Amino acid sequence: MIPVTETLIPPADAERSAGDVLLEVEDLAVEFRSDDGAVRAVDGLSYRVEAGRTLALVGESGCGKSVSSLAVMGLLPPTARVVRGTARYRGTDLLALSPTRHRAHCGTHVAMVFQDALAALNPVHTVGYQLTESLRSRTGTSRREARRRAVELLDLVKVPNAAQRVDEYPHQFSGGMRQRVMIASALALDPDVLIADEPTTALDVTVQAQVLRLLAEIQAERQMGLVLITHDLGVVAGVADDVTVMYAGRAVEHAPVRDLYAAPAHPYTRALLRSVPRLDSGAEVAGGRLPVVPGRPPAPGRVPSGCSFHPRCDMAQDLCRTVEPPLDDVAPGRSSACHFAAELLGGARA
Amino acid sequence: MGRYILRRSLLGVATLLLVMFVLHLLTTFAIQLNGNPALAFFGDKVPTESQLAAVETRFGLDDPCYDQTGNPCLGPFVERLGQYAQGDFGTNLRGREVTDIVATAAPNTLKLFLVVTIVWFVLGMGLGTAAARRRDRSADHGIRLTSVLIDAFPIFVLLLVYRYVFAVPLNGWAEDTFGAGSLPALWFRPSFDDDHPWATLLVPGILLGLAGSAAFIRLVRASQLESYAGDHVRTARSRGLNERHVVTHHVIRNSAVPVVTAVGLTFTEALAGAVVTEGMMNIYGMGGVLWEAVRAADVALILGIVTILAAVTVVVMLVVDIAYAALDPRIRYA
Repeated sequence: MIPVTETLIPPADAERSAGDVLLEVEDLAVEFRSDDGAVRAVDGLSYRVEAGRTLALVGESGCGKSVSSLAVMGLLPPTARVVRGTARYRGTDLLALSPTRHRAHCGTHVAMVFQDALAALNPVHTVGYQLTESLRSRTGTSRREARRRAVELLDLVKVPNAAQRVDEYPHQFSGGMRQRVMIASALALDPDVLIADEPTTALDVTVQAQVLRLLAEIQAERQMGLVLITHDLGVVAGVADDVTVMYAGRAVEHAPVRDLYAAPAHPYTRALLRSVPRLDSGAEVAGGRLPVVPGRPPAPGRVPSGCSFHPRCDMAQDLCRTVEPPLDDVAPGRSSACHFAAELLGGARA
Repeated sequence: MGRYILRRSLLGVATLLLVMFVLHLLTTFAIQLNGNPALAFFGDKVPTESQLAAVETRFGLDDPCYDQTGNPCLGPFVERLGQYAQGDFGTNLRGREVTDIVATAAPNTLKLFLVVTIVWFVLGMGLGTAAARRRDRSADHGIRLTSVLIDAFPIFVLLLVYRYVFAVPLNGWAEDTFGAGSLPALWFRPSFDDDHPWATLLVPGILLGLAGSAAFIRLVRASQLESYAGDHVRTARSRGLNERHVVTHHVIRNSAVPVVTAVGLTFTEALAGAVVTEGMMNIYGMGGVLWEAVRAADVALILGIVTILAAVTVVVMLVVDIAYAALDPRIRYA
């Protein structure tokens, strides 16, 4: 057993400059134990987070986007385990570390913002305590200094009356303010990479926009790498630089955000984009109904043969039912796991 | 917070008055149905009219309402409340002040309670926390099995078995090995000794504590498991806090509210257990005195002691209520 002391905390952050590769996830696979045997929740996911850039992980519920980030943080539930792959933080594979050493990287280097702030914050401790408990427990900061820092953090996320509110409890905050507290608590140790798991899903639409803008501002100012997990492509457009679309535990498309919106290279992405309500194209939609992606995502453990999206795909051919398409480059900086990616892109250009 | 405490205190006083009234009704009906307890004063002898009348007057049993079955006897009740308010709890059948009896008996009960509370709290928190942390592993199964096993033996069975099967041979062994009058010999004395209260209270206290801990262990385990499953624990871990900090500040701390509830319940259970324990182990304490008083039909003593025990329970419940508010801000600001 390694004693948990300050020496265990990895050394102070190196300077972040734009373009530094901070976190590199490669070929990550996570399995859940279940009554029907092992079930793959994530299968061969790779992505890379650079300083000053935002990567969006997009997909429907259950596609493995949250599970993959929990794996990176070492927070998988006891029924799940990483079966393959690496998650390198500035070259150190976090997944190969002992749980204690892995934990030491959390908060300082890679931090996480959770979805439902009311549940994710502890109801019995003040906001101030929760903002700085990591600081106090890990660096021995004094109570007074910690309080000053907590007020600073609340100011950073634009919570009004920070000096008073620091002594209040999470249930005394509104939903949007609570999510800001959640973000502030993740920023307490100035992490290099911030993973935000559906940070705005539980919020009103107007508050969503404010919180997203705040996240984007802080990310840009600090040159952090941000991983934004969401099921909402509308959210992605405003803040992300790159997008990885996930389906049934795999990445099916990766592209810079503009290219992806202009010309999706995977039928799933195309279907998702069509289902985003748009004010300008309302007239084109037949019958005034929003198109949906037909069918449901496959249950983990019952992923179809070949391309896992083929039962719901309007372009599916015989080939798709038998041969699994690899995630291949289709254009500079973008890749797609579709046999007909070239046709898709060509069709968009034509 | 101040208003919360005030509200709870008033509720506590009301509860106490209600308990006293119900107690009064029960004893009144018992007198009306079973006959005059003043006769108990004379034992086997048959008193003359004037002797009986004198004793009735002395113990406040002369009110004619005690002869009218169904009469709630409010007069004597109000009179008694007035006396209690002045600190006069009356005398027992032998003329000794109830307050005096309580003053000599209460310290032994408190000593017993201290041992009991330490045992069940330490066992409950320790084993409950260990079981929760090792959920579904052999340690967890073993602890749960043990707690069910303890539950299967009520306190009087534990005490009977201890007293008639184990105490004498253990006492004999200790006297042979360490000498008569040595500390281990005192531990295993089958009955209480006024000169060595701590030593002779230890084993009965541990047994009573053991009986109380069984359900408490399971409750601590269950409430901590609920905390472990909470999202806030995952958040705490994501901050990079070490597991010990997470367990103390986010698991144990958050499971404190149900645990405190159980502390109140276990306390009252131990109070009842203390009556049985003290009666069976001949401990001169509140429970032992009450046990004797009931057997001797000593009305004034019964009423006095039960009232004091009820007051203690009300105070403990009040403390539990205030502890709730201190532990869970959502209650405080509600």
